[in-house]
Amino acid sequence: MQEKKLHLKNVMKSFGGRKVVDIKDLTLGTHGIEGLIGPNGAGKTTLINLITHKLKMDCGQILYYANGNEIDLSKKPIDEIARSGMVRTNQIIQDFQSLSIRDSLLLSLATPMYENFYNIFSEKKLRKAAEQEIEKYLDYFRFENSDGHALSTGEKKLLDIIRCLLLKPKVLLMDEPTTGLPQDQTDLVIALMRKKIVEEGMTILIVEHDLDLIWGVSENVYFMAEGEILIQGPPDEVRKNKTVVKKYMGEGDA
Amino acid sequence: MGQILSGYYIYMLSILLIFIALATILHMQFGLTGIANFGLSGIWGFGMYSCALIILKLNIPFVLAVILATVLTGIISLPIGRIILDLDNQAVLVGTLAFLAIIETLVISEKWLTNGVLGYGPVNYPFNFGTYTKFVYFLIILIFTIVLMFYARKLESSPPGRLLLSIQDNEPLSQSLGKPTFRQKLVFFTFTSALAGFFGAIAAPVYNFVFPKYMGPDITFTLWIALILGARKRIFGGLVGVLATVGLFNVVLETVVPIPSQYAGILYNAKYFLYGLTLILVLMFRPSGILGDKKRSKNIKNIGKFEKMEG
Repeated sequence: MQEKKLHLKNVMKSFGGRKVVDIKDLTLGTHGIEGLIGPNGAGKTTLINLITHKLKMDCGQILYYANGNEIDLSKKPIDEIARSGMVRTNQIIQDFQSLSIRDSLLLSLATPMYENFYNIFSEKKLRKAAEQEIEKYLDYFRFENSDGHALSTGEKKLLDIIRCLLLKPKVLLMDEPTTGLPQDQTDLVIALMRKKIVEEGMTILIVEHDLDLIWGVSENVYFMAEGEILIQGPPDEVRKNKTVVKKYMGEGDA
Repeated sequence: MGQILSGYYIYMLSILLIFIALATILHMQFGLTGIANFGLSGIWGFGMYSCALIILKLNIPFVLAVILATVLTGIISLPIGRIILDLDNQAVLVGTLAFLAIIETLVISEKWLTNGVLGYGPVNYPFNFGTYTKFVYFLIILIFTIVLMFYARKLESSPPGRLLLSIQDNEPLSQSLGKPTFRQKLVFFTFTSALAGFFGAIAAPVYNFVFPKYMGPDITFTLWIALILGARKRIFGGLVGVLATVGLFNVVLETVVPIPSQYAGILYNAKYFLYGLTLILVLMFRPSGILGDKKRSKNIKNIGKFEKMEG
């Protein structure tokens, strides 16, 4: 157990009259890796979008605890939330088509200081400062041509994850991170996640449909259906829970 | 020789340079950041008229007037940017075009200030070197144009330029990486608009008398055609495009090619017809412009190698 990172109070969101997220009281981030599971349309991605303020919630409050401060995320713009250490990876592949892999990572690492318009000569300095860190990730994931563009689904997905990790987040929300990745790359991602939790004290919330992965890595699992968190607890308990079996996994899997 | 240096050729070349500078600014706004600015000639004209008015009404020396006009253009661009940059591309296009129409109409209607369609002037050259005056001024414009292009080139392969490219590609993603994208766009729009105002201000003595038609929509369209023709994502796209349109049709066709006087009237209209035809042909056979698409990765690869060798 660790200190809570996120506290959601009465968070509600509906699209055209249909309630997609309706959470009365929820504490997230009390463990290193937490899993969020649920059937399609349960509101998992919407929940992440609400936390990172990509979507505005209808009512409620999301409090984020960082360095002893309490931040109300519903009042902050997206970029400020990201800078405060709350970062997300994307379910649907997102990429910058005109940036090469290395450029994309340099973008992520560049601090606002580098990005002033009079700083047109700072490229070398940035590359020097960033080289070691970027190289570490590129070697780890064995990118073939880091000066080219990310072409395959897997590469883009990994790039998305690395970009987020370079921001050194305190809380990382991963929306189906391993979809489209081959098994060996998935293993690499998981191993890296575990390392980050121990070394940097990062908290990770994974949304996944790959249940073996969820049972294997997460210390705490939330089961979401119809916009509400119905069950939460250690993976072994959630796995055996009748509601989860009935609503999500199907009787055969139990 | 002296005749050439002081005459019509040097006038046309100066105008050509200013158009190249404007097309390069358009490259930075549209090619790099994705701001579809259709009001560029209005912003440019604002700088030009401000400079002329400051000099003649307030009796302020030229250099100071240019600086004031640049700052003024930046100041009016800030609220425009604040309004339009949140919108999508079509809305930006309409918004900036509307701004252009407003400025042009104001210049025409407020005769007490601008003398309307009759033109305002004369704005004289800030120095006098006899027959070489125009040539020296041309060199000054040349230096500023080169500095601008150098800036554009450095910007593209630097952290701020990379951020602009990321905004053009996928603004929400860039924002989710903690980048204040709106602020970046707004600052950049204001800054580049001020640059356009600067080139407007230094264009005033070249024209001597400034007219509302200099800032009309056809100037904006000419610049757009030039940039799309040259290649919007390349630094030299604006340069090549302007040479292939204004340079070829306005300068070469009008001054060098001997055309019988009875056809001279047709030429003015035929020019726009030829612009259009060239654009269609280029877009058919080279959709990303004469210079083609940017091969960014190749460029960066070399820098990477260079640094590895050093290390």
